[in-house]
Formats: sequence, structure tokens, C-alpha cells
Amino acid sequence: MGGKVTCTLGEVKQRADFIIYWGGNPAECHPRHFSKYTLMQKSKFLPKGRKDRTMVLVDIRETKSVKASDIFLQVRPGKDFELITILRALVKEQQVTDEQIEETGLSREALNDLVSRMKAAKFGCMFFGMGLSMTRGKHMNSAALLTLAAEMNAFTKFVAMPMRGHGNVTGADVIMRWQTGFPFGISFNRGYPRYNPGEFSTIDVLVRGDCDAAFIIGADPGGTMPQPAINHLKRIPTIVLDPHITHTSKLARVHITTAAQGIAAPGTAYRMDEIPMPLKPALKSPYPSDEEVVRRINEAIAKKPFWLPEGSMPQMVTEQV
Amino acid sequence: MGIKLTLIRQPTVPLEAEVLCPDTLADCSADEIAQLTIYHGKRQLPLSDFFEIEGEKSDEIEIHGDLKKVRWIGRGMSRGRLKIQGDVGMHLGAYMRDGLIEVKGDAGDWIGAEMKKGTIRIDGNAGGQIGAAYRGSRRGMRGGLIHVTGSAGLEVGMRMRRGIIVIGGSTRDFTGLQMKGGTILLGEGAEIRTGAWMNRGTIISLKALEVMPTFGIAIRQFTPPFMPLLAKALVSEGITLPENKSFDLYNGDLAVPGRGELLVLSS
Repeated sequence: MGGKVTCTLGEVKQRADFIIYWGGNPAECHPRHFSKYTLMQKSKFLPKGRKDRTMVLVDIRETKSVKASDIFLQVRPGKDFELITILRALVKEQQVTDEQIEETGLSREALNDLVSRMKAAKFGCMFFGMGLSMTRGKHMNSAALLTLAAEMNAFTKFVAMPMRGHGNVTGADVIMRWQTGFPFGISFNRGYPRYNPGEFSTIDVLVRGDCDAAFIIGADPGGTMPQPAINHLKRIPTIVLDPHITHTSKLARVHITTAAQGIAAPGTAYRMDEIPMPLKPALKSPYPSDEEVVRRINEAIAKKPFWLPEGSMPQMVTEQV
Repeated sequence: MGIKLTLIRQPTVPLEAEVLCPDTLADCSADEIAQLTIYHGKRQLPLSDFFEIEGEKSDEIEIHGDLKKVRWIGRGMSRGRLKIQGDVGMHLGAYMRDGLIEVKGDAGDWIGAEMKKGTIRIDGNAGGQIGAAYRGSRRGMRGGLIHVTGSAGLEVGMRMRRGIIVIGGSTRDFTGLQMKGGTILLGEGAEIRTGAWMNRGTIISLKALEVMPTFGIAIRQFTPPFMPLLAKALVSEGITLPENKSFDLYNGDLAVPGRGELLVLSS
């Protein structure tokens, strides 16, 4: 049904002889990715470094990353899901007609070549960026690539990994996952975590106007989210914790300036392969850290009377009446 | 004499009211109904805070008002009749086991999710994930009928196993995603990626639509022999299918590889 087959970047560096970047531009967005992990490094298993590795780039247009790639596949915009689904069919040797393949903007030769190279690889790795996960189809585009990676394991070792950015987003996912079992889109209103992206994910909640307060740490939804979501943030009491004045701070009721993580505040950041990295502060800041602010808010809330009636428990939402 | 509920106060955050279900209300006196717990966000409140209640001890329920933010109405209902006048929120008739839900207005996402039996009729538009499987669940709807006269959203019939979904208007992307059985009837076609990753089951479109590249054409100008039977089954629900139409049959999804049927009206 799904799931992620993945590994650490250390393994990619040591072993990956076949790398696909899908819908991303690492040369400009993750400039050290090639040199530190995926292409340039030599290892016991890949003694010739770059010469032992094959890099395929799939994108809708030519970017600076094309120069670094061995094979560039230009997919027609909005046809990523179709292309991955065709690849899944070709991997299983199903009959797909030339016409159907041409819909994606690629030729049969190119896809056959890709499939045979994928099957022949010793260790394949797919990295996908926002060009895949944030275009039409969204989570299903990512699910398609993850499924392809999982299915390739019938032939050879294959893994997939999202190209994360923006500071510690992976950390938020990882922490939520080990604490609640779910990475995002969680509601606690019944006293236990419930997961339903689309119902509880931030943008959907804000667009529908389902929340009556917002608490934002280390993000700037005012600069990235759709207008109806921003309008709702303006309507409700919004609290922002950020080292800088952001778009969101300007529309918030409260902005608390905090120390910058990794520069003036210690902590742990998660790399895109979910490896925790300790951060040591280099400077001192007059501002408190995010952690301290949240802890003090928690202490203040603990003094308030408990919100459930004495002796009652919220009912779970289950199949049974 | 049934029970009539009228929304008297608009909730500011989602109101989760799974007690609004014939199975619960049928055994309750008027006082007991007023004291049933509903969840306004995280707060537990009595039903009478939001609804004016008339009648008692009945499985014929009528609900009036703008219920856009009211969720989980008719969860797991196994009998009776639920009539809703106005728009209704998410998870209407989820896990439903029998009975009838009628809505005069629009409905939200996840209506009839993982239902087993019974009928849901929406006289208006509906959201996405109709008759779908909840996240992480293997099978969606396992029986029954959902009829939406208007349009619907994303992922209609996602992972459904049995049963019939009839959409009068058009649907958006991923209709019949990972379908495992059952029938989806589309009156006005769908946007892209219809039947993606389907295993088995049937999607019938009465309008031309964009077919996924991983579907192979099986036969053109074909009149499926089961159509008169389907038409006969739907007549009692007030749905009339056009007679003697021929369809193009596509099989897929090759990526799974699956044996689903996609029937598109021949041009």
C-alpha cells in the first residue's frame, strides 16, 4: 500500500551507483548534495567516484543540475504521476503502447533504457523535490515514486528520499512520528492522536476556518500559504515564535523574538535522512530559545483549571456505536 | 413521530456529533437526548447547547440548519432514517451498516467512508473521498449505495471494495484510486487520473474523459451485458440510466497490474 524504503545519506555516499533526482534542482537548492553524498565521493564500493555512478535527472525544464547529470529526461508538466505509473508497468513488463508513452513527453527508447539501467544497478536511490510533491496530485505523486522504489526491490536494492529544506522540517516530522505515530495532520481534540491529512493538515484547517487560535514556531505561513488561509490567520489570535520579523509576524497578535537555532541557541536538527545532528551555539543571544518560551507557556497553562469535566474521558471515534 | 433537531448556534470550530445517529437516539427520552455529549473542538458539551430538540425515542431523525462544521453525523448507523435539511460536514454516514441518509444540501469530505450497507443520498454537491478507506486502511466502502446528484471532489471511491457510487455531476482527480471492487457511475465525467492504480471494479463514465496512459483499450463500441441489470437495480433508487448506449472498454491499471474496467461512453 505504501511506506517509505529509505536509508541514510552515508549509505548513499558509500554504495549508490544509480541516482535519480526527480522534480528538484539540487545544483542550486542543495549545492553540497552532489559533492558530499551522491556524486563526487569515492568509497570502498565505488572506488572511481563519479565515474562509477550514473545520475538521471527528471524535470519539466532544463536547470543548472542538467550539467551534472548523465541522462536528462524532460517530462511534460503535470505528467509525473503518469510517467511513474508507466515506469511501474514497464518494470513489470506490461504492454504499454508508444502513444501512451509519448503523452508524457518521452520516447519508449528512453524509458526502456532507464528501466534496464534501474534493474542493472547495484544500489539505486531516488531523490524527489517539490517539483513532484507540490504539483497537481501532491501526495499521490510522492506515493507513486515511493511505491516504484519499493517495487524495484524485487530486482535490486532501491531506496527513495525526499529532498527536504527549510531548516528542521524533517525534525518536526520525526518527533511527531515517535511521539504520536503520525508525522503531521494530527488532531488531539479527543485526547488521543488522530491522523487525517486533508482534515487536520494546517492549510486545510486554515482555509476552512476550523481553528480559533494559531501558534506558529519557525515557519512563515504568511509568506507561503494561500490567501484564504492567511485571511483566517488575520482573523484569529495568532502567536508567532521566530528570530526574525516575518510576513506572519505582521499579521499576528503576538510575536515573540527567540534566539536563532544553531547560532545562538543549542538543540538538535534532523538531516533530510532523519539523522539527528546536535547544534552548538556560537554566539550568545539576549532572547530566549524556542524551547524555553514553549516550556514557560506550558507552565502557565498547567496552572489553569483542567478543561475536561471531573472524572470524564473523551470518547474515541471508532466504528462501533 | 420522529425526532427533529434544529441547529440554534453556529459552532466556531468543528463540532463532532457522532451521537446524531438513529441507533443512539432511538432509545433516549427527550431529557437523555438533551444530555448526550458532543465535542465542540476539545470541549464536551450537551447536545442541547447547539440543537433545539423535538420528539423522542425514534429512529426517524430530521436535522435542520447549516451543519457545515458538524462532523460524524450517522456514524455506524444500522437502522432508521436520517433527513438533513441544509449543508452537512465531513464523515457523514461513515462506517454505516444500514438505514438511509438523505441530505438536501451540500456535503463535505469522507461521506460513507468504509460503509457496509445502506443508502446515502445527497441532493447537492459533495466533497472528496466518498466511500473511501481511511488513511492506512486497506478497504473502503464494502457495500451499499451513495448517490450524489451534484459534483464531487478528489479520490472518490478510494480503495472501495464493493457497493455502488453514483455521481450525477463531475468529479475531480483520482476517481476510483486503488479501487478493489464495486461500481462507480459518473454522470458528467471526471478530471484526470481516473481509475489510477485500480485492481478490480468498474468505473462507468457517461461522458468522454481522459484515460490514464496505463489503461489498455480492450474493445470499442461495446454494450456491457450487465448494464440492464445495473439500470434495473438503480431504478428503485430513482436513478435512470440511458438505454442502449455503447461504451469503449479500457482495462487497467497496468502498473498494479490490475484488471479493473473503465467504461467510457463511445463518441
